Amino acid sequence: MTQSDSQIDKLKLEQVGKEVTIPSGVRVVKQGDPPVHFYVVVSGKLKVYRETDDGIRTDLTELGPGDYFGEVALVTGKPRTASVEALEESELLEITKEEFDSVLDQNPKLARQIIYSLSQWLVDGDQRLEKETVHQVKMRQISWFDYLLIGGLSIVLALVFNLYNDNSIPLVYSAGPVPGVETISLQEAVQLYRQDQAVFVDARKSNFYEQAHIKGAMNLPVVFFDLQYPMFEFMLQQQQVPKELPLVVYGGNISRRFDKELAKLLEEKSDRKIMILDDADYRAWKQAFPLEEHPGKEVSAMPLGISGYIEWIPVGIFLLILIPPVRRSPYLSAACRLILGIIFVDFALSKIMRPAVFANNVVDYMMMPSWAVNLWALVLPWGELVAGLFLILGIRTRASASVIGAMNIIFIVGLVKVIMQGLPITCGCVGEAGEPVTWWKVLKNTGMLVMALQVFFYDRLFVLDRGGFIWRERKI
Amino acid sequence: MTKRILIWTLLLGLVWGGLLVAGCGESREPYAGTYRSMEPYAGEGHVELELKDNGEADWKLPESGKTIKFKWRVENDRLWFYTKDGGIIHAIPSDGGQKLNADLTGQWHPSCPKDKCIIFERVPGKGPP
Repeated sequence: MTQSDSQIDKLKLEQVGKEVTIPSGVRVVKQGDPPVHFYVVVSGKLKVYRETDDGIRTDLTELGPGDYFGEVALVTGKPRTASVEALEESELLEITKEEFDSVLDQNPKLARQIIYSLSQWLVDGDQRLEKETVHQVKMRQISWFDYLLIGGLSIVLALVFNLYNDNSIPLVYSAGPVPGVETISLQEAVQLYRQDQAVFVDARKSNFYEQAHIKGAMNLPVVFFDLQYPMFEFMLQQQQVPKELPLVVYGGNISRRFDKELAKLLEEKSDRKIMILDDADYRAWKQAFPLEEHPGKEVSAMPLGISGYIEWIPVGIFLLILIPPVRRSPYLSAACRLILGIIFVDFALSKIMRPAVFANNVVDYMMMPSWAVNLWALVLPWGELVAGLFLILGIRTRASASVIGAMNIIFIVGLVKVIMQGLPITCGCVGEAGEPVTWWKVLKNTGMLVMALQVFFYDRLFVLDRGGFIWRERKI
Repeated sequence: MTKRILIWTLLLGLVWGGLLVAGCGESREPYAGTYRSMEPYAGEGHVELELKDNGEADWKLPESGKTIKFKWRVENDRLWFYTKDGGIIHAIPSDGGQKLNADLTGQWHPSCPKDKCIIFERVPGKGPP
């Protein structure tokens, strides 16, 4: 496609064509147009590029004085294979197809040069294709190492941060037998209740207690034990509860964190005998005791500020994926990555500083055994942070998207369970007081899941690893 | 190699910056000081609340001589008290910061629920006016 000035002279092209002036920014040749002219650059600078249907532009080369273009389409008779645009005001020699054919017939040197140029062009094309194929294959690669990197980094950061955090928590919460606390069966507890021979203490948070509790039971949320225990003792004294009456602690869910912890704390502080329901049927108290119930009380929604608004953006994905070219667009992937990244970094930062608060939120979902609660509360926010940052920066994006997608599936299952069971809890997703669990929240998370899938399948732009950072207009 | 170092430096910088932002709240200074409960725990059985500027706080029960330590911060003109077990008490300042309405439900409410609210009043001369 290019020639030196002296060669151009030799080609005797000055005898044909007409000189045209092309202002800067004007497209001389458009990709896909039928071939009409062959051009030789007399002065100025032009850019040759290709563009796909979905707007991805690849710069091929730049042309200067002595270079020529348009020969491929004239020789093959097929539409233009690339577009050419003037980067500055340029003088061109415009030669018609007839003149071009005539010059070729009379000038074997030019014909050979054109053949050489086309051959070179094919070789260059093969090299470009190979380079691009290697790049795309690298981009699409996904390995266990990616997951190991994200998981390992999250665990290491979580453990190190917990070591130095003022609000650190034990890695594993043990809910084994509590020394000094007597374990009783549900039947024995019911018998004590009927004979009025025990005081029943609900260890759960006040919103659970208000929703349903054993009739006459007192509430001493374990999370406020230190603050509320003196008042609790004061109330027992006011009600003139005999010292010999035992306290039966209940309110454990699958994690048994609240009831066992409260029994342990009461055993340390109280002079009374402490009892707890045994492992066999500690969750069946709702069926065995008369209840005081106040269902249907709504959880207050805390204003979340910007975080609350950002969370709505993923809902828009449902409209975008209806448009096929947009659905597969790498630009949509880049936008999804940025939005998901910001949301998950925001989610993470609101939970990282105080893992004990998040651990209590995890217990509220009643899905996780005691030993796993603290580990989950420590590692999940760091997983969100690492995967979110990887998405924003374009590092291991497919693996990060699949990790975030998996998290969203877990969140959706948890949210649906909460709604179906009518648990009076906040989401605990963003902000320490969180937001109420509603079907809207499920929709937002489903939107995030769809975004993660879109990134997993179509992401290929603005990535920072696997072959360099790719901008929209990339040089090859 | 240099590019990898650049990427990881950028990544760790972002984590560090994020944590710095997450760790910082609004200034505690306007609310630091000593408060005393008026309702429902007044008189001898009152609760004394000492909020220190460094984020530490003491919940004192003078009658029994017990002191419970916790942490606090300020966000959106609300005080957040954190117990060591992960409980949160939201306190809403009123009367220009002279009173605190502490919500003992552990949940966020637009205003302090009457039956679960302890009202504290600032003790003059202890902390900023």
